[in-house]
Amino acid sequence: MDKQQEYVLRAIEERDVRFIRLWFTDVLGVLKSVAIAPAELEGAFIEGIGFDGSSIEGLSRVSESDLILRPDPSTFQILPWRGGKHGTARMFCDILTPDGESSPADPRNVLKRALAEAADAGFTFYTHPEIEFYLFKALENETDPLIPIDNAGYFDHVARGQGHDFRRAAITLLESMGISVEFSHHETGPGQNEIDLRYADALSTADNIMTFRSVVKEVSIEQGFTASFMPKPLAGQPGSGMHTHLSLFEGDTNAFYEPGGEYQLSTTGRAFIAGLLHHAAEITAVTNQFVNSYKRLWGGQEAPSYRCWGHNNRSALVRVPMYKPNKGQSARVEYRGLDAAANPYLAFAVMLRAGLKGVQEGYQMPEEAEDNVWELSDTERRALGIDPLPGSLNEAVAVMERSELVAETLGEQVFTHFLANKRQEWTDYRAQVTPYELARIGLI
Amino acid sequence: MSRAVSLTGLLARAGFDEADRDAELFRSSFLAQVYDECDVAGQAALTGALGRAADPDRGLLALVRLGEADGVDGAFLRRIFAADGPERERVIAVLGASQALGDWLVSHPEDVAIVASARYRDIGVGAAGEQVRRLMLEAVSADPAADVPVASVSASEGALDEMRRTYRRILLAVATEDLTADDPETLLPAVSATLAHLASAALEAALALGRAEMADHAREVRLAVLGMGKTGGKELNYISDVDVIYVAEPAEGADESDALRSGSKLAAAMARMCSMPSREPALWEVDAALRPEGKNGPLVRTLESHLTYYERWAKTWEFQALLKARHVAGDASLSAAYLAATRPLVWDAVARDNFVEDAQAMRRRVEAHVPIAEAERQIKLGRGGLRDVEFTVQLLQLVHGRVDETIRSANTLEALAALSAAGYVGRDHAAELASCYRFLRVLEHRVQLGRLRRTHLMPSSSDELRRLARAARIPVDGNDGLESRWRATRRNVRRLHEELFYRPLLPATARLSADDVSLTADAASARLRAIGYRDPDGATRHIKALTEGVSRRAAIQRQLLPVMLGWFAEGSDPDGALLAFRKLSDTLGSTYWYLKLLRDSGAAADRLAHLLSASTYVADNLAQLTDAIAWLDEDEDLTPRSPGVLATHMDAMLVRRHDPKSAAAAIRYLRRRELTRGAIRDVLESVPVTTCREVIAPAADMALHGALRVAMSEANTARGLQAAPSAFLVVAMGRLGGEEIGYASDADVMFVHDPDPGADPQLANEWALEVAGSIASLLGTMSSEPQLQVDAALRPEGKQGPMVRTLDSYAEYYQRWALGWERQALLRARPACGDEGLAERFTALIDPHRYPDRGVEAAELRELRRIKARVESERLPRGVPATHHLKLGRGGLSDVEWTAQLLQLQHAGQHQDLRVTGTRETLLAARDAGLLAGADADRLIEAWELATRLRNAIVLATGRTRGQRVDVLPEERQALSSVSRLLGYEPGHAVDLEQDWLRAARRARTVMERVFYG
Repeated sequence: MDKQQEYVLRAIEERDVRFIRLWFTDVLGVLKSVAIAPAELEGAFIEGIGFDGSSIEGLSRVSESDLILRPDPSTFQILPWRGGKHGTARMFCDILTPDGESSPADPRNVLKRALAEAADAGFTFYTHPEIEFYLFKALENETDPLIPIDNAGYFDHVARGQGHDFRRAAITLLESMGISVEFSHHETGPGQNEIDLRYADALSTADNIMTFRSVVKEVSIEQGFTASFMPKPLAGQPGSGMHTHLSLFEGDTNAFYEPGGEYQLSTTGRAFIAGLLHHAAEITAVTNQFVNSYKRLWGGQEAPSYRCWGHNNRSALVRVPMYKPNKGQSARVEYRGLDAAANPYLAFAVMLRAGLKGVQEGYQMPEEAEDNVWELSDTERRALGIDPLPGSLNEAVAVMERSELVAETLGEQVFTHFLANKRQEWTDYRAQVTPYELARIGLI
Repeated sequence: MSRAVSLTGLLARAGFDEADRDAELFRSSFLAQVYDECDVAGQAALTGALGRAADPDRGLLALVRLGEADGVDGAFLRRIFAADGPERERVIAVLGASQALGDWLVSHPEDVAIVASARYRDIGVGAAGEQVRRLMLEAVSADPAADVPVASVSASEGALDEMRRTYRRILLAVATEDLTADDPETLLPAVSATLAHLASAALEAALALGRAEMADHAREVRLAVLGMGKTGGKELNYISDVDVIYVAEPAEGADESDALRSGSKLAAAMARMCSMPSREPALWEVDAALRPEGKNGPLVRTLESHLTYYERWAKTWEFQALLKARHVAGDASLSAAYLAATRPLVWDAVARDNFVEDAQAMRRRVEAHVPIAEAERQIKLGRGGLRDVEFTVQLLQLVHGRVDETIRSANTLEALAALSAAGYVGRDHAAELASCYRFLRVLEHRVQLGRLRRTHLMPSSSDELRRLARAARIPVDGNDGLESRWRATRRNVRRLHEELFYRPLLPATARLSADDVSLTADAASARLRAIGYRDPDGATRHIKALTEGVSRRAAIQRQLLPVMLGWFAEGSDPDGALLAFRKLSDTLGSTYWYLKLLRDSGAAADRLAHLLSASTYVADNLAQLTDAIAWLDEDEDLTPRSPGVLATHMDAMLVRRHDPKSAAAAIRYLRRRELTRGAIRDVLESVPVTTCREVIAPAADMALHGALRVAMSEANTARGLQAAPSAFLVVAMGRLGGEEIGYASDADVMFVHDPDPGADPQLANEWALEVAGSIASLLGTMSSEPQLQVDAALRPEGKQGPMVRTLDSYAEYYQRWALGWERQALLRARPACGDEGLAERFTALIDPHRYPDRGVEAAELRELRRIKARVESERLPRGVPATHHLKLGRGGLSDVEWTAQLLQLQHAGQHQDLRVTGTRETLLAARDAGLLAGADADRLIEAWELATRLRNAIVLATGRTRGQRVDVLPEERQALSSVSRLLGYEPGHAVDLEQDWLRAARRARTVMERVFYG
């Protein structure tokens, strides 16, 4: 048994943990959980825990639904909100086939494969997400209207604000689980908050995002709110994105940093950006996976709807943030397309592979976009060579379907399943009659 | 002057290459004095002795340098060289064989005394480990009797150099004895055991030096050093990395984490003492890479931590490595505890889940891990190298050591002797392998002694080889004598592996000589299981049946079977292969050529084993067609027969057969023969797509040709006709028309006839119907020969229409009714056999319909697309994922073929080149005509070829030619794995095949949707 597993077993003994939740995600990024007793854990480390994958989104295959969960001891955490005398802990799991091979349908494995690809090229991939979400008054049932808990704006300090308490409680829990929080503040929309996680390697970050969503849900229930990561819950108000800062390291050196370059950006950094932009449309179905995602992307409010990059341009899809000249280690690029409802494992994987493709093929970065691209006319944008992102889930799926890059990254099984699932979502959505339609044409 | 000439002459006669230069050296050195004082006989004896050195010229040069070295005892040297005795012999042997030891003597001339006496403070070959340890510890002024010896002089104050000097001196004594031994191969075990003791003692001294450097001598930690590999096996060579594992425990009352920290430092310090630069040369590298988690793991662990690792995480090869572990330095009681605790794990390793796969992978590593540049000269690695011998012995130990404690020695030669004594391997074979091992080791030692470098490469120049042979005292003939003996030894090691491993599986009654052994039932079962047989009892029965008895057959099987057993085990189904082999041998009995072929042709036996283990289809077919085994020896017999040759064979057979039953049997026999030929080649060559066109389709054509001939003659006879009343034609349709059918396909056809002018149309029609009917029944009725279902469903009006039509009727029908799908079906129409004139007329008739000038009209196009879409949604069987159905699934055969056919309907009217029946050919023609993008054509062809190969591979692997599964990529792992092996994937890469198929199919589908659906 290795050190980490020993540590886990010891911690469980010492902290009197009575339940261990084994976490994994389905293809859409929904967290799944199985609870086991501590006595079963040794066995789980060695043999894994068998389960029937056929009822889990994206894991099912006709004749091979038996799958195995193997907990990753490095992700062991006590779940603080379960509190009480007898603790509960969780670990993320890898999903294996009965032969002990990694399951091609495991999103965590998809990201691991992409990271391995980067490692072969000598890179490690770090991410730092800014997660936005709304807090609403508690919903009794699904049809209740969404009422934000306050009416404040960007960075507003709300006196005796409930959001304040909320963020403090959530951050305390996160920190107690070893997830470092960089930053938190009130966002532009009413009831909208942002919490930034400290940068970490992409796999840990993705695990952290999954944990983060659970923590926020737990705290909101405790405090009597409803929290939502829905990309665009309120028409006319800003959507919730998950702007993510990306960087590649070669050993201890930041590969994006070059002291003399424009914005101190290295050739690798520039090619990485070029890759992101070049493949942005193909990966959009993954980074923005719901019908609702496109209402954020195309709802104005500085949403990154166009494939361009800028330095201090808050409408660009890719932004090169300012950082102090002597802080080469913090050189990074910010991808602003991603939303908070994406499956972080798959999203990080496709973003990484898109950028890496740019590096491997030596893509050239287009001109910087200095204008607010929202204010340009279509013709101006065309003249500048700035293409839009897909306008709907339907368009995004159509572009992704033709993408070798996404197919390679996700693996054939996940790729096929994801497309089928999204086509179905679009079909279901199209069958809806919305209040908008009723209001507008219902009286004709 | 005359003396100088005679000296040169003497030297030349004695074997010096550069006698002139050497004579100069001779005269300018202390030798001149010795030489002058000798009488004539003494002079000849002196030059003769010098000439017996492995390399006389280099030896002389070293001697001259030694004579001039600072601090040399000249008088002593002269006295030794004046006398024709063993002392002189020894000095010459060392100087002539080792430049490095010569250099050592030049810098340490006082050590000449060691060489002269071949003992250093009473230590030499065979010295006890304890004695060597005492000497080495004394060199660093540590107390050998102390529980924890600590150097009382620090390394930098000279203890390190003193330790290294002592080491060299003992090495010098050992080397001298070794180099002057009459029979170095006999002395070898003692030499390498002494070298292992010396390495252990050096580690002990290095540890004492390390402790001396640490605060409080690192008393908080008990550190045990276990020797692994050759050090552990007491079979070390002159210079190589010393493999170790460290175990650390806190001393009484010390804190564990402090102890581990100090333990790591101490271990690192010990290793440094052996390898860091100093005045005296370094000894060797200490390599701890065999520890748990390898290079990433902590350098030292507690005993407990070692055990938990081994119990849970260790791989099979780690237990194999542990087999060699032995206490070499540090805390002996801790080592003993470690060994006591790990031994059970080692000896139970054979029961682990993946033992078989792991052992096979280890074997591949042994054979494969040779740098290409060295592959030809390696003594240690690669097939037939030293590592191979060690692996063979260790694998046998792991397999049988579980129940037999007598064979657990860590020493290769001792273990081999024990295996032989306990009856696990034949006595002769064991002795032979031991002799190979000793020979290779002596070569390795001599190569290393030259420069004291860690090398395992045979020299390649003939001069060097000659020197090597002399240094090893190996009597060889001519210049390439050593080279050829070395190569023969390697071949022998390979052969002996088979003999040792598989021969004892034969029953006692099958022993070839009194020295052979036969395993007990349990031991045989353990061994069979360890090499991959899933049903050892069944296998034992087959082996027994094959080899028992006094027949010539049994006698040859006894020779043959051991190696075949090994080959079967390399394939995907060893048990099935052995059973099939037994059936074959039962059928063929004592057929003379069969056994002779297998005995005399290694290639044929190897191929047979491979075929039986890889393909159930081939195994079944060989059982039915044993003659085919003879083809295995002759590549020419495995190349496909041309249609012309096949037709001649067919005609020749039918001439002799007059009743339809025996004629049908002959036709089907010939087809089966050709399918078998194709299948064998498929298995041997990773299932090439060309088999369809070169073998399977021609075989079907030939069968139709034969059946037509018989059917016509029958119909004539029944009506008392002298000649046929009508010309008759069989038109191949569908995949047969495209010459791309697989092993499991039906033959799609249409029948055409054209009554002779003046013949009674009614009679002609009845006659033609009978001909068509009997073709189908001749080929399709059940019998012991495989069927070929003849399917005429693509004819006008399908199953409702008449089975045969006249040419005129076809003309009328197509003129009036030809529907889109019928035109499409005609695209692959190809006259297969029958009347040639009619073939031309029929082709002329259908061409305007299938290659319409105007292309496809909008309505027709719409209808085609609709039919395809409906087929997609309706024909796919339930329960099969669309991604895995090779024929009807997404991107499968049907998608690609419809695309190709649509391009033909649209453009063949204008483009002659599109007028072909093959899918691949159509797509290539469309590409060349600019009708299909190159990349699109590639993707369609890639998916189509892979699907075609997969369908054939599935039949080959399973032997099933009927049922739904023939067209579905297997999801069951075992089946997928067999199919992937057939297609040429490495073992363990079945998942890659699945990914490759899904990718190819997805890409093809994308192209198809664009091109076909528009």
